[in-house]
Amino acid sequence: MLECRDLVVRYGAIEALHGCNLSVAEGTTTAVLGANGAGKSSLMKALAGVVQPASGRVLVDGQDVTGLPAHKRARLGISLALEGRRLFHSMTVQENLQLAWEFRRSGGDARKGMDKAFESFPVLASRKGVAAGLLSGGQQQMLILSCALICEPRYLLLDEPSLGLAPAIVQQIFRVIEQAAAGSRTAVLLSEQVVAQALRVSDFAFVLQRGTVVRHGRAEEFARDPALSAAYLS
Amino acid sequence: MTFTLQLIFAGVCVGATYALIAIGLTLTFWSTRTMNFGQGSLLMVAAVAATTLMSAKLSAYAAVPIALLLSTVLMILVERIAIRPLARLGGSMGWVVATLGFGLLLQGIVARFFGSQAIMFPSLVFGPLDFVTIAGIRVSSQYLTVLACCIGLMCVMEIFIRRTRWGRAVRAVAHDAEAAAVAGVPVKRVVVASFAASGALAGLAGILVSQITGTVEPQFGFNLVILGFVAAVFGGMGSIAGALIGGIALGVAEKLAGGFVSTAFGDAMAFAILMAVLAIRPQGLFGRREILKV
Amino acid sequence: MNPAREALARVADARVALVLVVVLGVAAEFASASSIQLWSFVLVNMLAAQSINILTGIAGQISLGHAGFMSIGAYGSALAMIKLGLPLPLSVPLSTACSAIVGWALSFAVGRVREFYLAMMTLGFGMILYELVREWSSLTGGVAGLSAIPSAALASLSAFGVKLTPARYFQLMLAVCALVIWLLRNFIKSPYGRAFFAIQTSEVAAGSMGIPRAATKRLAYTLSAALMGLAGAFYAHLVGYLGPESFDLNRSVEALVMAIIGGLGTLVGPLLGSLLFTYLPERLQLFAEYQFIVYGALLLLSFILLPRGLAGLFLPRPRYYAATQVTGGAKSEPAAPSSDSEKLLQIDGVSIAFLGLKALDGVSMDVKAGHLLGLIGPNGSGKSTLVNLICGLYRPTGGRILFDGSRVDGLADHRVARLGVIRTFQDPRLIRAFTVRENVLLGAHRLYSSNPASFAFRWRGAMAQEGRFLGEADRVIAQVGLAHVADTPVHELTYGDQRMTELARAVLARPRLVLLDEPAAGLSEAETQRLEAVLKSLKDSGATVVLIDHHMEFLRGLVDEVVVLDSGKAIYRGPMAAMYQDEKVVEAYLGSSVEEAEPAKRSIDA
Repeated sequence: MLECRDLVVRYGAIEALHGCNLSVAEGTTTAVLGANGAGKSSLMKALAGVVQPASGRVLVDGQDVTGLPAHKRARLGISLALEGRRLFHSMTVQENLQLAWEFRRSGGDARKGMDKAFESFPVLASRKGVAAGLLSGGQQQMLILSCALICEPRYLLLDEPSLGLAPAIVQQIFRVIEQAAAGSRTAVLLSEQVVAQALRVSDFAFVLQRGTVVRHGRAEEFARDPALSAAYLS
Repeated sequence: MTFTLQLIFAGVCVGATYALIAIGLTLTFWSTRTMNFGQGSLLMVAAVAATTLMSAKLSAYAAVPIALLLSTVLMILVERIAIRPLARLGGSMGWVVATLGFGLLLQGIVARFFGSQAIMFPSLVFGPLDFVTIAGIRVSSQYLTVLACCIGLMCVMEIFIRRTRWGRAVRAVAHDAEAAAVAGVPVKRVVVASFAASGALAGLAGILVSQITGTVEPQFGFNLVILGFVAAVFGGMGSIAGALIGGIALGVAEKLAGGFVSTAFGDAMAFAILMAVLAIRPQGLFGRREILKV
Repeated sequence: MNPAREALARVADARVALVLVVVLGVAAEFASASSIQLWSFVLVNMLAAQSINILTGIAGQISLGHAGFMSIGAYGSALAMIKLGLPLPLSVPLSTACSAIVGWALSFAVGRVREFYLAMMTLGFGMILYELVREWSSLTGGVAGLSAIPSAALASLSAFGVKLTPARYFQLMLAVCALVIWLLRNFIKSPYGRAFFAIQTSEVAAGSMGIPRAATKRLAYTLSAALMGLAGAFYAHLVGYLGPESFDLNRSVEALVMAIIGGLGTLVGPLLGSLLFTYLPERLQLFAEYQFIVYGALLLLSFILLPRGLAGLFLPRPRYYAATQVTGGAKSEPAAPSSDSEKLLQIDGVSIAFLGLKALDGVSMDVKAGHLLGLIGPNGSGKSTLVNLICGLYRPTGGRILFDGSRVDGLADHRVARLGVIRTFQDPRLIRAFTVRENVLLGAHRLYSSNPASFAFRWRGAMAQEGRFLGEADRVIAQVGLAHVADTPVHELTYGDQRMTELARAVLARPRLVLLDEPAAGLSEAETQRLEAVLKSLKDSGATVVLIDHHMEFLRGLVDEVVVLDSGKAIYRGPMAAMYQDEKVVEAYLGSSVEEAEPAKRSIDA
């Protein structure tokens, strides 16, 4: 279980999260929904250790990891795909995958993980030696997802994976997310502005508004609730 | 003709040392987007330390590594005192002035306790008069050794950066430190290591240059750092090959200008090249244009 | 703030300073020769420190080789006198002008570079000039130096037919320095001085107010170089001898230390710094021995330990606007479009791509004068990019943008701002050290018509303008509800108050078109209501507004119509109420229709 309790995140004078409580159980998929500025990215970054909270705690399996820096949390099995397609543009597809592997796993061969990635996204295989910066937006997101998955993480955190992508590619990506989640103990936490796709693959959902969780429950409750769109769009 | 060729050769060798300095500067730029404005004092400290130790009858095989260790440690200190607390402040002014201050502090200490006179730098492998003849030209062995060292080191670095795990880590941190952290790269460690490497390179450059010029004095590093910077910008910040080409081009231009006009003209040449590069192609030969996100 | 301190500051301002200057001038008649020499050096150093202060503390440009300008001024004046036979009243202004010109030329090169590249370049500049002086021995005497310069020290100097003893020379320098400081003071308190601070904080924000970054930096360099040249000229005729070591790196460092430790950004700081660091080496032999170790350590630690210098420690903050009569201030006239067309803003098939990815793809829309348009869309749809294009920060790769009938795509951002297109930012970009009032005044930059010189000399027209805008600023500040914090530095304010300050700044600019990027983000209920009121009054005064925001409730009460962007394309344009029914909009926000969504069931392993 990955959870945060009373998390407060501040950037200078701006409070992005005021007392956020959330939990993700192993083997489940959870969606974090909310408009721009609701605090989704701050939440993701705080869980992964990229930003330090002003107060509150982050726990992994009951252990307080709030003081643990990001790279150590990555070794614990928390894998975050940052918002905005952040790849290492000058490195090739292969090198990106290699890097994603070698600092989270000591030893072992990255090849198995890479082959799996190329299976899910054949187009990446054909562009193995191409610099990541030259890929299309969709291909880049595929690479990011592959990098996040390559170590078979315990907690997969995806920040707006569908951002700026064509619907067909979004479908492909979510299919892979579903596949990765099914039949493994990986817990998935994904934040999205576009509600339907996220709900479709999730078991649970949390709605963030202005830095706190205002609703949470099973995803199907949200799917059947037309009031959600009203609440969401306002 | 021979005169010109000799100037060119001297320029190539001297340029290779500029390239070494340039890489030392860009190492820290990669990981933190900062540079040590007092880098020149590290060159000087290593050279002075080596000289002092050798004149105390220590063998060169011990003196040089100790000198390099000293410059490495000092550079780690620079990161801790002058860069880390100030890079947060935003804007460059804080760390630029602080690193300059550190350099001046070192220079002042050396001048105070070792005197400000120039001291002779002992010959290490070859004497100043040893030469070999290549294609009919007499080429100084010292120069040749220096050139070989620089190029060898750069090849090693290029291999390190391109093919090893930690080389990838450095490239990742240079590109996007947050994304690197999330991928498991221990960013702080990489930063400190890059500063340490930069310090070692600076020390080595200082020793190699003193070997060529024959003397050391407290202020000799400052000019060199500017030249190293010009080489880095010319070749493109962050490119090792670029630094080498930039350094050599600069060295050759400087020697030719110095040989045919005057030494001051040689220095002015470096400045002019810098202005030209920044005006025409600020990313240098092999660098990448940085996009300003609003 | 302590009222005693406040009183001290006000009184210490102009009148007491004048009295002090006169007293000092008179005292020179009776002081000992060594005292006079020391005071003279203080004056020279103060000019040098002020020079650094203007460039670095105020305009935010680093210079590590400033002694180069000093050598131009020094050698220039000395040689003008020796070789051209010019008298002092001519040689000094001439060499000062030469230095200013070199500074101006240098600014072209440095204008395009990132900050620390700039620092390296200035280091190189100082080094080049040092070498130049050393090598050009036919002119400068090279390493041997230039001696027998007509000077006070050698009693060989005269001006206006009067022989200049050291005391007289000191009095002359004192008078000139007093005048220069007075002019500087007026300049700093003028819109042009405030523009320098704006450039230092954020060039982008400055451009959005109509402040031209390149021209402003050039002015800063020219002024700074002139001051340093003047310092050099005075120095030359003080000591009577010049050598290349007079203006080496150490000299540049000294000036830096005096300015930084004294306190950057204030006028008093450089004076304190020069007093301290002229006296210490003279009076403390120990200090003189370890001088450069101390300087190195000071530079290393100053920004951590003493970020605002001694002036920041002991003196209250100065005011950055002129002390002048605050007049009523005219109510801003309704902005009427000058052309017949109703469409104030026309966007025609505009596209822009970054690194191969299309951020905007053939977007077309127009905004009628006096309308309030909402611009909405999911994250990454291109809203901010569109605003950046309109205000001139980016240049479109295709299409055109017309404002009031004429093309503005491709114009620099400050030019677009001058036409009356004002914008705010997602994160308020204010000058942290400035008060609310001073930040708001920046908004009026595009409306001032007097030039810097008229502010420096406090001519009537300029002062009247300042008074009018001060009055108008008061009104706008009250309108946004910040009257109670008008004189508080903005870094002490809450986020909401900072946003309102930025809004007030935009209002003061009397905009014809306002582009607001998420103005309601982070605001409380009460603040949002005040924001609505301000926006309504902007509309009433004839301005056209384009609003990016996500809060539909907030937009509903304000907008005349909305444009929805998705993935760089405009997918809907029309009234807000009908937007919810448009299927393209629903798809963009919700994915496919909500009813069809069936969450996949996952087996939850025990």
